[in-house]
Amino acid sequence: MRVTLSDIYKSFGMVEVVKGLDLEIADGEFLVLLGPSGCGKTTALRMVAGLESVTSGKISIGDRDVTEVLPKYRDVAMVFQSYALYPHMTVGRNIGYPLKLRGVPKAEQDVQIKAAAEQVHLGDYLDRFPRQLSGGQRQRVALARAIVRRPSVFLMDEPLSNLDAKLRSYMRAELKHLQSDLSTTTIYVTHDQIEAMTLAHRVAVMNRGVVQQIASPREIYDNPANLFVAGFIGSPPMNTLEGSIADGAFVAPEGKVRVGNYAPRDKVVFGFRPEDARIVDPSESDIRAKIYACELTGNETIVTCQMGESQVVVKMDKNYDMPSDTVVALSIAEEKMCLFDPESGDRIPRPA
Amino acid sequence: MTENRSLMRRLFEPKSLDHQAPASKVVTYGLLLIWSLVVLVPLYWVLITAFKNEGDVANGPFYLPFIDFQPKTDAWHFMLVENNTIGPYINSVVVALGSTFLAILVGSLAAYALVRIRFRVKLAMVAIFLILLVGVIVAVATFGIPWEIALAVAIALFVIALFTVGRRMKLSLGNSDVEFWIISNRIMPPIVAVLPIYIMFQQLALLDTQFALIATYMAVNLPIVVWLTRDFFAAIPIDLEESAQIDGASKLRVFFTIALPLVRSGLVATFLLVLILAWNEYLLALFLTNADAQTMPVLVSAQNTTRGPQWWNMSVLIVVMIAPVIIIATFLQKHIARGLLVGAVKG
Ligand SMILES: Nc1ncnc2c1ncn2[C@@H]1O[C@H](COP(=O)(O)OP(=O)(O)OP(=O)(O)O)[C@@H](O)[C@H]1O
Ligand SMILES: [Mg+2]
Repeated sequence: MRVTLSDIYKSFGMVEVVKGLDLEIADGEFLVLLGPSGCGKTTALRMVAGLESVTSGKISIGDRDVTEVLPKYRDVAMVFQSYALYPHMTVGRNIGYPLKLRGVPKAEQDVQIKAAAEQVHLGDYLDRFPRQLSGGQRQRVALARAIVRRPSVFLMDEPLSNLDAKLRSYMRAELKHLQSDLSTTTIYVTHDQIEAMTLAHRVAVMNRGVVQQIASPREIYDNPANLFVAGFIGSPPMNTLEGSIADGAFVAPEGKVRVGNYAPRDKVVFGFRPEDARIVDPSESDIRAKIYACELTGNETIVTCQMGESQVVVKMDKNYDMPSDTVVALSIAEEKMCLFDPESGDRIPRPA
Repeated sequence: MTENRSLMRRLFEPKSLDHQAPASKVVTYGLLLIWSLVVLVPLYWVLITAFKNEGDVANGPFYLPFIDFQPKTDAWHFMLVENNTIGPYINSVVVALGSTFLAILVGSLAAYALVRIRFRVKLAMVAIFLILLVGVIVAVATFGIPWEIALAVAIALFVIALFTVGRRMKLSLGNSDVEFWIISNRIMPPIVAVLPIYIMFQQLALLDTQFALIATYMAVNLPIVVWLTRDFFAAIPIDLEESAQIDGASKLRVFFTIALPLVRSGLVATFLLVLILAWNEYLLALFLTNADAQTMPVLVSAQNTTRGPQWWNMSVLIVVMIAPVIIIATFLQKHIARGLLVGAVKG
């Protein structure tokens, strides 16, 4: 079902934690709320669940205004970071708890519990207690409990963050599959950009209680709306250089790059992704840099270069190696770079 | 290293990490032995005295049944057949169980509310409440105004104050103040309130009833229940309760299906403690009962007659009094200290 948040504000005492949140989540969409720690993601999610009241603004699920509605009448299911399994109930009774509260007949409960457990591959564990399960299995019990009653909306608060790396990538795929299977509207909170990129239909990047950009993962990556998004997404993140624009070129003390017909500007921030640049011989380009360090990660080499005061990172082939302090040049793909206004941090639109 | 340890070191240092040094072992077991004697000898003495008669006690002391005296069941026959012991025994059972059950029910609900709901009681309203209370008492007692009228006026005034003064007052009391107030009710020994309690039940014609004792014991033990159980509830991860709310449970449902089962072990321990307090209570029972609702502790002390203490009869009563406590404690022991919260959250 469609979820709409209009102009949501939330304060705890004097502290404003969410400031003017506007989100429109389509039916069946997987929306990821992504942002650094403390930016208000969990608070936003808890307001949708009804665990936290809003200071002002309106929340609707479908066509129903639920701003003042108790959690149990919102028809949402939530998966907590801690899983929040009921320790005194078996897996089966955990999964069946929402059904029991809704007065579903016992026989039907058993059928649905079984189906939900099968869906997360836990069919054989119904009689165990949560304490007898591994972390990944507990996580799946929490998922089964959420899907068993077919809610209008799934809410997930960093559901994978307590799993180890391998299990996390496995569960990520499971989650994505499950969501597209059920096509239930999902709001997923994380500070892990890999999760955001891989799972989301659209990502909403938040910072300090304000949404910075809402777009598809690809769009967020290729066309960040501002310097915050550019610096937050990508690992390593986008490189930035300060300089000016003159005669259709970005000019910095280290050299010039052609950028197309942007209007001249005194101050500008030039951004490019580590994979959109190459290190070349000084004769091939006039952007000078000095090798700072080369780090082999396995399938590629991360090269850090010193450019004046700042450092930039370039991804090179795994066979690339160069001693420190070698003077080199950078070749940057013109069509991939972004320009930002250093004052506001906003992206300067590409001229037509 | 080990072979040339001096005698002193061998006495005072353990052989390995899993061992205890001989000297400290002797001290430990010695102290435990002494303490066991302190605990067990009186129990033994009560048990054998219950099988003595007046002569055995007067000519004694005799220590070993069948060896220095012949056990007799005279005292048992006297207490259980000739005397009405069953009545007080039933009273004790009903009063202890009833008051404990109610105290646990009300007290745990109160403790839960104090942990999970934020109260902001306006200080001004508390003051107004107390002033009105005194006003009602004065009006009824000294001016002879019918209590219905005085009470109605007071309630009306309180409601008016609530919507006028109360709205504007900033100073308020928080949960910790409420908690402290509840616990402070038990700092004072309950006996200081025995006169008002006595008069109240006298006016209600409820003296010497099980009801009076149940109500009084419940009120007296409530603070203990609140005090002990609040920490158990506070230890429950809030996620569990929020999750249950989203799953569709009402607050009361969350309490009964999630919170209460999770603190079960703690509640059992509290139940046991309060039950024993109520079971053994003497002073209030002495004031509030005289025949029909008499409880065992009162009956025990009644064996201290004008002819001197009837030790053998008293011992019979004490044995039948402590037997169920020992049985219950043994039975419930395995329910206490069970790590139920393991697996609730991660790890
Ligand atoms: N109940 C509360 N009372 C006061 N302040 C709160 C409360 N809950 C959250 N905050 C504050 O609100 C801000 C946002 O918190 P929130 O939990 O939403 O962050 P988050 O984006 O989920 O961070 P993380 O990624 O670390 O979970 C934080 O600065 C936090 O200190
Ligand atoms: Mg959070």
